[in-house]
Amino acid sequence: MQDATRLSAGYMTWYRFSRNPAAVIGALIVLSVIVMAIFAPLIARFPEHVGAVVDFRNRHMPPDVDNWFGTDKAGRDIFSRTVFGFRVSLLLVIGVLGVAVPIGSALGMIAGYAGGLTERLLTGFTDIMLAIPPLVMALAIGNVLEPNLVNAMLAITLLWWTWHARLVYRVTKSIAAEDYIEAARLAGASHLHILAKEILPNCISVISVKTTLDAAFVILFGATLSFLGLGVKPPTPDLGSMVADGRQFLPEKWWEVLAPGFAIFYATLGFNLLGDGLRDMFDVEA
Amino acid sequence: MGNYYVALFARRAVGFLMVLFVLSLMIFVLARIVPGDPARMALGPSATQAQVDQLRQRMGLDEPLITQYVSYVSHAVTGDLGRSIVSDREVSADIATFLPATLELVIVTIVIIFAVAVPLGVLTARYRNSWIDNSGRFFSLIGVTIPSFLFAVTLQILAADHFPSWPTLGRVDFQLGAPAGPTGFLLVDSLLAGRPDVFLSALQHLAFPALSLAMAGIGQITRITRSAMIDHQRRDHVLTLKSFGVPDRVIVFRYLLKLSSIAPLTIMGLEFASLIGNAFVVEMVFSWGGFASYGLDAILQKDLNAVMAVVLVSGIFFIAANLVIDLIISILDPRLRFKEAR
Repeated sequence: MQDATRLSAGYMTWYRFSRNPAAVIGALIVLSVIVMAIFAPLIARFPEHVGAVVDFRNRHMPPDVDNWFGTDKAGRDIFSRTVFGFRVSLLLVIGVLGVAVPIGSALGMIAGYAGGLTERLLTGFTDIMLAIPPLVMALAIGNVLEPNLVNAMLAITLLWWTWHARLVYRVTKSIAAEDYIEAARLAGASHLHILAKEILPNCISVISVKTTLDAAFVILFGATLSFLGLGVKPPTPDLGSMVADGRQFLPEKWWEVLAPGFAIFYATLGFNLLGDGLRDMFDVEA
Repeated sequence: MGNYYVALFARRAVGFLMVLFVLSLMIFVLARIVPGDPARMALGPSATQAQVDQLRQRMGLDEPLITQYVSYVSHAVTGDLGRSIVSDREVSADIATFLPATLELVIVTIVIIFAVAVPLGVLTARYRNSWIDNSGRFFSLIGVTIPSFLFAVTLQILAADHFPSWPTLGRVDFQLGAPAGPTGFLLVDSLLAGRPDVFLSALQHLAFPALSLAMAGIGQITRITRSAMIDHQRRDHVLTLKSFGVPDRVIVFRYLLKLSSIAPLTIMGLEFASLIGNAFVVEMVFSWGGFASYGLDAILQKDLNAVMAVVLVSGIFFIAANLVIDLIISILDPRLRFKEAR
C-alpha cells in the first residue's frame, strides 16, 4: 500500500516535469552538453586543434563543410575547440559545486537546527562572506596565486557556499520546530540522525533546484574570468577566452565570437530551463 | 518611528564594522599568502638585494604579522590605503579619482534595471500565460543566460556597423573639454557648469555600457517582480479589494506594486555584488576608465596594495547599497517598523 502511494507520487512528479516543455528542452540541452564534454575527442572533427597547433594557411577561414564554425587566428577548427570548451566549463561546475554545495548545505542545516550561539555565529559569518563580490575576490585570488583552473575553482568555491548555506538555513529553520522532529528527538534519535534522516530529505528538492541554477551561474562566471584572461591558460580551449580572442577580429571575422558565445548561451540556457522546471516540479522557492 | 531608525542604524553599524573587520583580515591574509616577495616583485629581477631590503623595510614587511595588520588597519581607518607598488601613487587618491565614473555607471544601470524590469514584471504577471507573459519571460531568460561581456561586445560591434557616429569608447567626447569636478559625475558636473553638450555626450557614452550591465539585473528583477505580483494577487487582502469593486489599475499600482517591490529590492541588494563584478568586464570592453578598470589593472599588475584596496572598497560598496535598500524596504513595509517597536 505504501509502495503504491510512493510510486504514484513519484509518477505525478515525473508527469508534471514531462508536461513542461521548457523543462524537457532544458534537460535535453544539459544532457547534450554533458555528452559533448565527455565524448569531446570523438565529436570534435580536429581533436588535435585543442593544443598549440598552428596552421597559418587556414587561419580566419569562414564556416565551411570541414570547419563548421570556421577557424581562428591560428587556423584551428572552432567547432572542435568549442566542444572541448564545454569540458572546462563543466569541470568548473563540478569542482565548485561539488565542494560548495555540501559544505554550504551542512553549515546551513547546522545553523538552523542548533540555534543559539552557533546559529548567530554561522549566519553572521555567512552574511559577511556574502558581502564580498565573488568576481572581484576570484580575480584577486586567481591572480595573486596563479591564474589557472584550479585557483579559479578555489576562489569561486570560497564564496559560493554562502548561497546554499542561507537557503538551507531558511528551510531548516522553518521545519526544526515541527512535531515529527520533536518526536524523533523524544524517541532518542541522535542529532546526526535527525539532521541526516529527518531534515536533509526536506532540503533535497531546494538544494537540487538551486544547484541546477547555480551551474549556469558558475559557467557564466568561469567564462567571465577567462574572458578577462584569468581563467584557463592557453592553448587549452575555454569559451570565455575564445570570445576574448575573437573579439579583436570583429566584425569581419564574426564566427570566431559567435560559436563560443552561443555555446555559453546554450549551456546556461539549458541549466536555467532545467532549474526552473525542477522548481515548478518540486514547487519550492529557491 | 524615530527609535526604529536609530536602532536599525546602530545594528547596521555594528554589522558593518564586523564585516569590515573580517574583510580586512581576509584581504590581509590573502596578501600574505602571495608566493614570492612583494618587494622583489615590485622592483623586478634586476634590483639589488639592498634595494629590495630597503623597500621591505619601507613597506613594513620585516615587522611581525600582528604589527603589520594593526598598522594596516590603523592607516586604513584614516583613509590611507598605502601606496601603489607599481606607480608609487597614493592608492586612496587613485580610487577617489576613478570611483565616480563607476558609481555613475552603476547608478544609471540600476535606474535602467528598475525602469525596465518592474513594468515588465507587472505586465507579465497581469497578463499571465499570454503572449505578453511568454515574451517577457523569454526576454528575462536571455538576460540571465548571456554573460555581460557578450552583450558588451555585441552592442559595440552593432554600433560600429550601423551607427558609426555613436561613441563606444570612453566616458565623454574629449574634444568638448568636459568640466573636471566638483563631483566627478559627468552628468551632474556638466549640468552644474551649464554644458548641455557635455551632458548629452556623457549620456550617449553611458548608454551601451549601462545597457550591457543592466541586462542580467533586468532578467532577475523581472522574474522576481512577476512571481511576487502573482503571489500577492492570490492573497486575501487583494481578493477583498477586488470584491469591493476596486478597479484593477488601482489595485495594481496602489497596493500590489508596493507590496511586490520588497522582494525585488532585496534581490537587487544581493545582485549588487555581481553588478560590481560585471562592471569589471563592461568597463574593460568600453574603456570606461573607472574603479573597475583600475582594479583590473591592479590585479593584472599584481599591485598588492591596490588590489587590497579594491576588494575592500567593493565590499564597502556592497554593504552601503544594502543599507540603503533596507531603509527603502522599511519605508515601504510598515510591518517591519512595528515589529521592531514592540
